[in-house]
Amino acid sequence: MRVILQPRSLFIVLSVTCVLAIWLSLALGPVSLPLMDTLRAGLRLLGVPVSGDNLEQAELILGQIRVPRTLLGLAVGAVLALSGVAMQGLFRNPLADPGLVGVSSGAALGAAIAIVAGASVGGLPDAIEPYLLSISAFAGGLIVTGIVYRLGRRDGQTSVGIMLLAGVAMTALAGSIIGLFSYLADDATLRTLTFWNLGTLNGASYTRLWPLLLVCVLVILWLPRRAKALNALLLGESEARHLGIEVERLKRELVLCIAMGVGAAVAAAGLIGFVGLIVPHLVRLIAGPDHRVVLPASALAGASLLLLADVFARLVLAPAELPIGIVTALIGAPFFLFLLVRGRTG
Amino acid sequence: MRFIAKLTAVLIGLSFTHLVMADAQPQRWVSAGGALTEWIVALGGESHLVGIDTTSQHPESIKSLPSIGYQRQLSSEGILSLRPNILVGTEEMGPPPVLEQLRAAGVKVEVLSAGAEISSLQGNLQKLGALLGKETQAREAGEQYARQLEGQHSWVAQAQQHQSAPGVLLLVSHAGAAPMVAGLGTVGDWLIKQSGGRNLATHTGYKIFSAEAMAGMNPEVLVFTDRVQNGTSSRQALLRENPLLAATQAARNNRLIEVDPTLLVGGLGPRLPEAMKALAKAFYPADSSLNAKVTPAQ
Repeated sequence: MRVILQPRSLFIVLSVTCVLAIWLSLALGPVSLPLMDTLRAGLRLLGVPVSGDNLEQAELILGQIRVPRTLLGLAVGAVLALSGVAMQGLFRNPLADPGLVGVSSGAALGAAIAIVAGASVGGLPDAIEPYLLSISAFAGGLIVTGIVYRLGRRDGQTSVGIMLLAGVAMTALAGSIIGLFSYLADDATLRTLTFWNLGTLNGASYTRLWPLLLVCVLVILWLPRRAKALNALLLGESEARHLGIEVERLKRELVLCIAMGVGAAVAAAGLIGFVGLIVPHLVRLIAGPDHRVVLPASALAGASLLLLADVFARLVLAPAELPIGIVTALIGAPFFLFLLVRGRTG
Repeated sequence: MRFIAKLTAVLIGLSFTHLVMADAQPQRWVSAGGALTEWIVALGGESHLVGIDTTSQHPESIKSLPSIGYQRQLSSEGILSLRPNILVGTEEMGPPPVLEQLRAAGVKVEVLSAGAEISSLQGNLQKLGALLGKETQAREAGEQYARQLEGQHSWVAQAQQHQSAPGVLLLVSHAGAAPMVAGLGTVGDWLIKQSGGRNLATHTGYKIFSAEAMAGMNPEVLVFTDRVQNGTSSRQALLRENPLLAATQAARNNRLIEVDPTLLVGGLGPRLPEAMKALAKAFYPADSSLNAKVTPAQ
């Protein structure tokens, strides 16, 4: 595969893009804040005593709305893209999507149960209620992925082929149960469910952010350490084994990482499609298949893409908001097609 | 720590300004609920509205206001950009973290009832009246509503001496396709019952029924509403998409009545009594003399 950009230049480009995306995400929103106010409010939030009148609003919007939202976008984007790389490495197939092992559909099932049952039960303790959806989605993702992994195990070996098929079947099963719940739901609950399935970074708050950030940081720190093993796995399972990689352990770790990472991301922001599939692909098209480059570059690119999509989502219909899942696919799919076509002719 | 201290200071400051301004009514309103928006307009608060949600479809004049999106999927910064003093909506409004953020930014978030009962409506009107500074008007509107309902009840009771309550289904469809049937707890169900009809559907909420099931219930009257069409075309679309309905008593006796879909969203709105009169007249065609003013629904 042709390498379009050397790793060093790629990282420079991606870092600049990411910083730019963070800046845009902090500076732009339906409330138009003067640039200087945003800067001064930001400095104030960091504890620098800056004088200025009427900074309260800027400080509130920056501190309570845009900063948590930006952090959420960074974490979710990075972790979805990393999980995509892990997934494609595990299945040795560039079309693998984190949803394949059932984590997305499991999380969606958990969310559907929480939304529909929560609406009909009602009156849960205040301490649990805000977290019910996230916990339920996270647990759903872990459980379904666990089942898929278990089904793929035979005689101490994990067959990714069987895992793939089991994932497809579990996704179909979860889909039908979600369908049943949608049927049972009333109109308003159904709308909540629909919107959840399109994902949003709206309403990010620090209390919901910390658990996700913790999981994301773990995944982001850990996955790149397995880059060499993933490279070896590209050659084939037995080849990797001959190279001294504990393949079974690697598979287990990858599945766990995907389940935790995607589960947490989906629990915090709903289903955001496309990022996990396209970003790694894109990075590989540009920089080649070496996981030592692909992993960190995908994390940066995924985070940037999600932030930019979110800026678009919050501005285009302001004061209303577009679900971000629509935007990621809307921006990403044509771009991806363009790269495919260009790659074939060039 | 410093940030939290600053934030607390801001919040205390904001709550203090609220205390000082306790007498003044909120000037800039955002409404997230169809029926509530109608009531605000009916009580003379239209000039205060700076934003509405997608369920607010009536009257026509408010449609030029900025839309804040769907009531359950509000955006905190989007709403703040309208610089509102108050956001009114029903329990269906959300998501909760956005409401928290709005409260933290000093917007009064007023959660009213979406219940389809007269008591919820009276409570809502009382609150809206106080917030708009139109207590008297709100009280009068509430009393008038109650009077209209009472008049309706006695009219229906009288009509039922000559004719038993007709079996009714209320269908909500999209260009005639896949009609959903209004069940218990919906405004549609309330509307049928207040108009003296007997809702043949006993499920909760809106559900899709098969044409066969609907035909099997054999309703005497079909009330229908279409989100994309109205008039003759929607009636034709309904019968074309669901040919089995043509066999029902309702279709054979040409008792298909259309209602405005915006009537059925978000609790009891000010236009319901009129719709109810029209429906009641169609349910009890022999007793039309009692409602001289009512025009038949088209």
